Amino acid sequence: MATLRDLKRQIQSVQNTAKVTDALQTVSGVKFRKAGARVSQARPYADNMEIMMRDIARKASSKNPLLVGRENGASTVAVATLTADRGLCGGFNAQVLRKTIQFRRERGQDAELKQVASGRKGTAFFQFRRIQLEEVFSGFSDSPSYEKAREVGRYLTQLFENEEADEVYLVYNRFRSALVQQPVITRLLPAAPEDDGEEQQGEGPDVPFDYIPGTEEILQSLIPRYVETVVFQSLLESAAGEHGARMTAMKNATDNANEMSDNLTLQMNKARQAQITQEILEIASGAEALSAG
Amino acid sequence: MASGRQLFCRVITPERTIFDGEADRVITRIEDGEIGVLADHIPLVSTVEIGDVRILQEDETSVFATSDGFFKVSENLVLILVEEASPAEEIDVDEAQNHLEEVVEGEPVEDGEDEEAAERVRAERDRRRRIAENLVRVARKYGEG
Repeated sequence: MATLRDLKRQIQSVQNTAKVTDALQTVSGVKFRKAGARVSQARPYADNMEIMMRDIARKASSKNPLLVGRENGASTVAVATLTADRGLCGGFNAQVLRKTIQFRRERGQDAELKQVASGRKGTAFFQFRRIQLEEVFSGFSDSPSYEKAREVGRYLTQLFENEEADEVYLVYNRFRSALVQQPVITRLLPAAPEDDGEEQQGEGPDVPFDYIPGTEEILQSLIPRYVETVVFQSLLESAAGEHGARMTAMKNATDNANEMSDNLTLQMNKARQAQITQEILEIASGAEALSAG
Repeated sequence: MASGRQLFCRVITPERTIFDGEADRVITRIEDGEIGVLADHIPLVSTVEIGDVRILQEDETSVFATSDGFFKVSENLVLILVEEASPAEEIDVDEAQNHLEEVVEGEPVEDGEDEEAAERVRAERDRRRRIAENLVRVARKYGEG
């Protein structure tokens, strides 16, 4: 059985850990609220870009490969995975990486794969698994700027334009709440909205827009910008998810530490009680021995 | 709505909505020249050039220096989607001037092995320079100081 002193030391160490995780939880909480606000502030731009894309994609009988894809299908598929730069956020990184691996297994059968990583955790994961990385982005996962999203978006669009990839997918954690982040895969390019069957009835009457200069020219500049927007929105959601996940993970860690500290304190009290009993017993039996003699 | 002819305007950047409100007239520069939009304008989609957006209301005019982006009018709503938009009165002329000099004096483009890549970098820098220039111009013309 552990001695009184050992137990004291253990309790101290567990309580120190609890202090650290509690502080991390507070910090993540603040960052989480900020990141959540950024997600919702960014939504109008993203939504309007999407509406514009849908409108124009429906109207234009465009052959632009960026929109409709290549004629002879996809032989090379690029996957960009968004993870956090740091850990201590529960299953946040693991689940999005698991999703990526699963997707790679499915598509890897009939297409060549190219992997792009954003965030240090993802980068380390792929390097450990000896999966070749085309490009690595990092250093901005907890507070992404549009500038960075632009960089990533540009890079991915160029992969497509240079015919190094025939399809480009994005894997990231969609933000639901502090407790729930859902790993999702979306197709960035070709950018034509995937047929989900419902859009025909959905959008109301066709508005006969004038397009200046023309739909093709607008598409040519709209698509890269649209890709950047989707990347930006995903980066923001991923950041909010990261802070939410970390906050939750740290709360659990603090709770566990406190519980452990309670148990250890109980044990320590028992040990102390036992020690006192032992001492009294020794004194009593000593006295008895004396009086008997 | 009683009138049904009130024009609204929204200026939106990736980060947030910069302007959202009524307008009597919205003036900006699109693909083929300057455009002034009044209520009941026909539905139109176009691209916005680096320049300014002027939103004329009854007794005041709001001016924004904007980067390039997209422009859409439908059902009396003017949507301007640009990467950057700064209210003219909030631009500090000196700061904008310094920023412009930084961009101009930035690292020279390396004539590396990849001509195409170098061309892209050059184009991107050129765009940054034009945005910075525009900021200075708008601040001088419409700013407070």
